[in-house]
Amino acid sequence: MKKKDYWIAAIFLLPAVLLLIVFVIYPIISNVILSFHSWNGIFSAKRTFVGMENYRVILSDKSFWRSLTNAGIFLFVGFLIQMPLSYALALLVTAKIRGTKVFRTVYYLPVILGTTIVAVMWKNLINPNYGAIIEILKSLGLNSLAFDWLNTPGLNVWIVALVNCWKSAAFNMLIFCAGLVTIPDALNEAAVIDGCTTWQRIRYITLPLSKNSFKVYSILCITGCIKQFDMIWAMTGGGPNATSSTPGILLYLNAYSFKLMGRSAAIAIILLILGVALSICCNRIFRQEEY
Amino acid sequence: MKGGDGVKSRKWKKIMLYVVAVIWLLATIIPLLYVFISSFKTNDEMYRSALNLPIQWKIENYAVANELGHSFRSIGNSLLVAISTTIIEIIVAMMAAYAISRKRHVFFARHAYMLFVIGVMVPIHSTLIPISSMAADWGLKNNFGYLVLVYVCFNLAQGIFLFTGFLDSVSREIDEAAIIDGCSDFRLLRSILLPICKPIIATEAIFSFIYAYGELVFSLTLISEPAKYTVPRAMLSFWGEFSAQMGPQYAFIILSVIPVVIIYVLFHNQIQSGVMSGAIKG
Repeated sequence: MKKKDYWIAAIFLLPAVLLLIVFVIYPIISNVILSFHSWNGIFSAKRTFVGMENYRVILSDKSFWRSLTNAGIFLFVGFLIQMPLSYALALLVTAKIRGTKVFRTVYYLPVILGTTIVAVMWKNLINPNYGAIIEILKSLGLNSLAFDWLNTPGLNVWIVALVNCWKSAAFNMLIFCAGLVTIPDALNEAAVIDGCTTWQRIRYITLPLSKNSFKVYSILCITGCIKQFDMIWAMTGGGPNATSSTPGILLYLNAYSFKLMGRSAAIAIILLILGVALSICCNRIFRQEEY
Repeated sequence: MKGGDGVKSRKWKKIMLYVVAVIWLLATIIPLLYVFISSFKTNDEMYRSALNLPIQWKIENYAVANELGHSFRSIGNSLLVAISTTIIEIIVAMMAAYAISRKRHVFFARHAYMLFVIGVMVPIHSTLIPISSMAADWGLKNNFGYLVLVYVCFNLAQGIFLFTGFLDSVSREIDEAAIIDGCSDFRLLRSILLPICKPIIATEAIFSFIYAYGELVFSLTLISEPAKYTVPRAMLSFWGEFSAQMGPQYAFIILSVIPVVIIYVLFHNQIQSGVMSGAIKG
């Protein structure tokens, strides 16, 4: 019996583990090795060992730090705008009012459209020549706002981050909903009987009991910010002058536009370390609070 | 008196809730509606005013979108990739989740879970170059099978996470009874646990379908033949080449959204109940 279980477990896990080895573990090892080399990406070309040179170049490169700052903007918007918005929406659709099902279904539409479609859609909406948003602003007399937002360094990342917010608000809403529905009704009823106001109820019952959802959200948000690629690529392509690049874009450009595979691999490894470290930190912070 | 106040304030609260709910409803729906209406406009109309309704609803835009942007071909490609990704991913993840949840006494099944959890933390881009050079080495560029396997791999962690959580909440007494009746592991999983897991499978199916249908990074690096472009690729190249064709661009968006919307409408009850049953736990 026991021995049979070994075999069954091994057979059932085999496909998943194989995929993980081929597409995650091997690529990471190969990237670590590559990051110490210089290579132009052509199969027959020679790889020359350069030691820490790639890392040195990247860490002293301004555009890399700018890309991290841009990821930070996503993080900022993610925590200060998207999180309250998603949580409010979650409170809304789990509230005891009619029509929550309709709201939930419609709210979820942007999520199912997919990143690229949402990106090109909003790119057209805010186009300075024929975009609807710009025209509304013009008709309100705000002509000074009618310029090409996506071509303005400093502003473009914020715009993309907000579009990202519009897109994924409902996805995060579901994460918070999952936590909210596990809170027993009896708690809220007791609070109402004790004369709690709505805000007090949210502050002292709902929020503390949603801690786990906040943890899931934080981890997804932080790792998501580092991974940011599709939205930016489709809306600005990282430009103008790489001002809106995220680390992912920088990595892609280094590899496929500049053919600097080694440097790109080094960015990949820095990203990987950052991602894992931040996830672990997040886990730690929330675990400590539990005790 | 006091009771009256309570009723009144409750009524106000309700109205406030509805106001907020409707505002976000409009914020989601108006842009989509705008895209739909614009897909029937001519360029002139769009430059004259983005907000007016088209004078003549121009259905030709859809034909142009297909002719210049090859929308149907790319939607077909995306559907093929997304459906195969979803099916394979669910089978692989379900098997792994079964081993992790039901064979916990086997030491490596316990540790395998940690392996997949760490897999979530890996940014996709960290594997980009090796995955594309592997494809080049093995002659698998422009191969949908390879692309699908990559997609499956990057959805696995999420699938295993959701399925394991759900299976853990399913009572073990059911499988003990089945095993006593002489049920093999495969049959137990297929005929008994699979039907129970339907809501969570539908949830994960929608997640991975959406991912594979609209994924960009790997389709950029692994697919270079225009005939094999998936929707996001085709869309970006259409935007780049024919930026003056605005009506058809909107038409392309509407066309490519139709399959996802249909699938969502069919399964959305499942996704809600899947998530609402507390499947996404920490």
